[in-house]
Amino acid sequence: MTAVAVPAARTRARAARPALVRLGTSVMVLWGAVTVAFAGLHLTPGNVVDLLIGSSTVTPEVRARIVADYGLDRPLVVQYLTYLGRVLHGDLGQSYQLHQPVASAIGAQVGSSVQLMLSSFTLAVVVSVTVAVLTAGRRWARAVFSGIELVGVSIPSFWAGILLLTVFSFGLGLFPATGGDGPESLVLPSVAMAIPVVATLSQVLREGLELTLEEPFVLTARSRGMSDLGVRLRHALRHALIPAVTLAGWLVSYLFGGAVIIESVFSRQGIGRLTLAAVVNKDLPVVMGVVLIASLLYVVINILLDLLYLAVDPRLRGA
Amino acid sequence: MSRSRLLPAGLSLFLLLTLAACGTRGEKSAAAGAAGPVKGGTLTFAVNTEPSTCLDPHQSPADVAGLFTRPALDSLVSLDAEGRIHPWLATKWTVSPDQKTYTFTLREGVKFSDGTPFDAAAVKANLDHIVAPATKSQLAAGYIEPYKGSEVTGPLTVKVHFGRPYSPFLSALATAYFGIESPRSLKQPQDALCKKVVGSGPFVIDEYVQQKSITYHRNPGYDWAPEGAGHTGPAYLDKLEIKVITEDSVRLGALTSGQVDGIASVPPVNVKQVRADPRLTVTTRQAPGGNYNYYPNTTSGPFADKRVREAFRDGIDFATIVRNLYFGAFQPAASPISPSTDGYDRTLEGRTEYDPAAAGRLLDEAGWSGRDAEGYRTKDGRRLTIRWGFLKAAAREQRDTLAEQIQAEAKKIGFDVQFVAGTVNEWLERYPKGDYDLVDFSWQRADGDTLRNLFGTSSIPTAAKFGQNAARLSDKDVDGWLSDALDTTDQAKRAELYAKVQQRVTGEAAVFPVYVFTYLLGASRKAHGIGWEPQAYPTFYDAWVEQA
Amino acid sequence: MTASTVASPVLVIGRGRRRAPRAGVWAAAAFLLVLAVIVVAPGLVAHGSPDLADAVSALRPPGGGHPLGTDANGRDVFSRIVYGARPSVLAGLTATALAVTGGTAVGLLAALGGRVLDEIAMRVVDVLLSLPGLLLALLVIAVVGPGTLNAVLAIAAYTLPGYARLVRAQTMVIRRSGYVEAAVSLGLTRAGVIARHVLPNAVAPLLVVATIEVGTALVAASSLSFLGLGPRPPAPEWGAMLSAGRDYFSVAWWVALFPGLAITLTVLSVTVVGRHLRRRVEGRLP
Repeated sequence: MTAVAVPAARTRARAARPALVRLGTSVMVLWGAVTVAFAGLHLTPGNVVDLLIGSSTVTPEVRARIVADYGLDRPLVVQYLTYLGRVLHGDLGQSYQLHQPVASAIGAQVGSSVQLMLSSFTLAVVVSVTVAVLTAGRRWARAVFSGIELVGVSIPSFWAGILLLTVFSFGLGLFPATGGDGPESLVLPSVAMAIPVVATLSQVLREGLELTLEEPFVLTARSRGMSDLGVRLRHALRHALIPAVTLAGWLVSYLFGGAVIIESVFSRQGIGRLTLAAVVNKDLPVVMGVVLIASLLYVVINILLDLLYLAVDPRLRGA
Repeated sequence: MSRSRLLPAGLSLFLLLTLAACGTRGEKSAAAGAAGPVKGGTLTFAVNTEPSTCLDPHQSPADVAGLFTRPALDSLVSLDAEGRIHPWLATKWTVSPDQKTYTFTLREGVKFSDGTPFDAAAVKANLDHIVAPATKSQLAAGYIEPYKGSEVTGPLTVKVHFGRPYSPFLSALATAYFGIESPRSLKQPQDALCKKVVGSGPFVIDEYVQQKSITYHRNPGYDWAPEGAGHTGPAYLDKLEIKVITEDSVRLGALTSGQVDGIASVPPVNVKQVRADPRLTVTTRQAPGGNYNYYPNTTSGPFADKRVREAFRDGIDFATIVRNLYFGAFQPAASPISPSTDGYDRTLEGRTEYDPAAAGRLLDEAGWSGRDAEGYRTKDGRRLTIRWGFLKAAAREQRDTLAEQIQAEAKKIGFDVQFVAGTVNEWLERYPKGDYDLVDFSWQRADGDTLRNLFGTSSIPTAAKFGQNAARLSDKDVDGWLSDALDTTDQAKRAELYAKVQQRVTGEAAVFPVYVFTYLLGASRKAHGIGWEPQAYPTFYDAWVEQA
Repeated sequence: MTASTVASPVLVIGRGRRRAPRAGVWAAAAFLLVLAVIVVAPGLVAHGSPDLADAVSALRPPGGGHPLGTDANGRDVFSRIVYGARPSVLAGLTATALAVTGGTAVGLLAALGGRVLDEIAMRVVDVLLSLPGLLLALLVIAVVGPGTLNAVLAIAAYTLPGYARLVRAQTMVIRRSGYVEAAVSLGLTRAGVIARHVLPNAVAPLLVVATIEVGTALVAASSLSFLGLGPRPPAPEWGAMLSAGRDYFSVAWWVALFPGLAITLTVLSVTVVGRHLRRRVEGRLP
């Protein structure tokens, strides 16, 4: 057995434990993210107040307030606890460059990014399930799609985005070039972002399907006269989904990174571009805020996926 | 002057948030045979940059805040393309004999969109707001530095006092940076003004969503258009939307695919393609003020030697490079200021010539006669290195491509050009110290006084005062001519003085003029009447769209 | 929760018994060989200088003296792609090498350093793996600033935890297997066992995964350059070339097309060869 199978097997056992464990892990991830953000701020060379203010300018009173808010005149441990306490109260700080609280800056942009991520995720799941079901164990279809998938995982998404824009928007005029004009403006960015996901997921699903199709219970189902497609959809797919779900962490991570690139290629609004601008301008409060929000989303999505896990693997239920 | 107040003026300069925009003149773009203006509909326009830090033009460091708020803000006076001042919210004005006091009589019956009436107190509140230290005005306050205060002498009369004669006042007043906001909204905290401004203009701001767009609706009660506007009464459009599309190719694609009715900054490489499209038009307009120029640091490093500056200017074929890289869309510059600026000296055109051999001789004379292994010139074992404060993150119009071209051309004559700006913050540390050899920027301003911003001793950037004199030139004659020009309102006299300044600074090679920044506005033929203001922003009061 | 997910799809993909066609593997290997030559000695392949700018011959289409055309500065696109191979490929290689080295150290320490150390190290790894990689890289760049080296460090920083977890898991398996105990009973020192038996066995599968991950790291590095956070101009780098070329795509497709093709082909070849190696190596593992 390979190394990866170890954690996967362990999880199956662990998933049966009370939800408290999961909650504990979630809290730890969030706490870790806060720590990483705090460490980032203090590892950056320069005066912390100056870093928080960035290229903006503030009055001495505001400066004094920042020092008080962050407890910057007190020991590092106290500063850390102060910061932790503020985040717990939902206070992500103030972006002095954008003249607004970090939470509202992110709040104004997060909807558009979530839209993009969800539509690209849905697209990826639908396409890869279809491709996997139709090609598993079929020699020629499999060979052709394996090739396409290899290209799909290798192609950088910014390049794919530019090519899609050029052909389908500038060339054929089928889709709008930029966002904000209803669902059709989501098509090209979602496709560009979904390409590597489709290429990856369909491979995993197909490999899972192919293993399952050789299991005895599949043979039994076939012998009862079930159609091939029926077997694939009703029996095999469920088993094939289990290894795919282990990719959830990678997927969430990819979607966030993808948002930075795709939003910039398509000039879409969203937290990706907000983050990029913040990195270029050294607007650290915003960068820290995005890291925190991303880890929060990660935790939420993982809890949802754990529930999905229970749904696809009935052996875990009631265990 | 506190550092905190002045530093941001440099920010506006170096973030180069200047919008590339221009307007078509209403009568020009009206298609032949089309019926008159149609009321109603929405016009969508796309621009390449946004005032993400702050919308309020009184305080924003981003000059594009002027474009975003112009539809909602009126000014006391307006300025036409020929540089003449016209009444707007002020019906008439007089200037005192010593030229230090301006008395305005205001229009009656004007209301801000929040219902507050417009009066003399409102004018005073606005001017005081711009210069108030708490506003930390990053652009506007710099245009009225000698401002002493305003005095309300009647419900609709106001006197504005200056500490010295200041002839550019009225043209500054005509810009959106001096747009009159509702005094009630000015009472809000500064941060609130950064998201929404309330004025008396033909449109009312609905919402500004960063990275996306700003939307407006028509102000139905509007009845105080400036003299010279295409019509009177409310605007034609029901709604107006200005989208932010930073990617050049995407913005162009939005225009060609009909997603928007017009765009600012058609990429120069695509001008021909847009012109060839029967559904689209391109209108160009040279912006007034400082051209896109390179400024050598005349006080330290290799460029402290005039011969080295001349060698750089004459040894690189700026004109040919500009023509090729911008496909003829931008005119190579000959003077530090653009041909559309009052006081432009046409005689400078064609005076400098590309001559690499002469450049080589100048460098030899200056002692840079050695050569190292990589072919760069050396003097006493030191390489001829030029540290260029180039902010790639803020570059637009392929200025980064141009910079790489200049870098490669400079290498041919032995200069090692290095980009050293780093991040915006790091650059803001270096710039006031003069820790650079070369800087690039354009500086739009509809007045010859722009030369004072660029070359006056008073605008040399220091730790205490952030200025635009990046060449760090300090020339008593130049200062004298610039000061004399402020004292007189005689246009011919001013032009003569400004010509002297231009000749001196080009003679000293204190500036390498690059190209005349030109607004390239692309629009659908269905959109009509997009006007423009002298600061070269499109205006939408007279605009209308053909209904399908 | 975090244990239920893997850091990279490389860990679950391409493990099926079916092999890629031999010809494909050979073609990919040949491409990588050529690439290696180009990285070591670009001058052998490209005739011109990558920085030779000439505004007059800007945006020439492929053909004539410029097999892949010229860019907006009139520079030869072919030469720039060839000279750009070194920074682009090395960024991916260096980032992976750093991450593997660091990950191995952390993983071994966790597996062999006792319960407390293990718990701490693995919880930190869990947290880092639950933060989106590119965001973590952007945080690193926000802290240390943009640049070639910093981009490489940023990528190494976010890929390291994955390797640490893999090495730890592998080491645990080996430690429990009989032969380590056998070696100790034969009188070898603990350090000697780690060096002679644990390390090689733990690292072998890691190297295979890392080979494939070089491709991912290369894409990440070129993404950062594309976003303007990589090397400074005029250094030729594929992601940066693509970024500069996209503004000209509608009139000069070759400027952005070929660098993208170079990235895709390189990653594709690395993946094909890496997967082939893995199938062979895994056949021999305990």
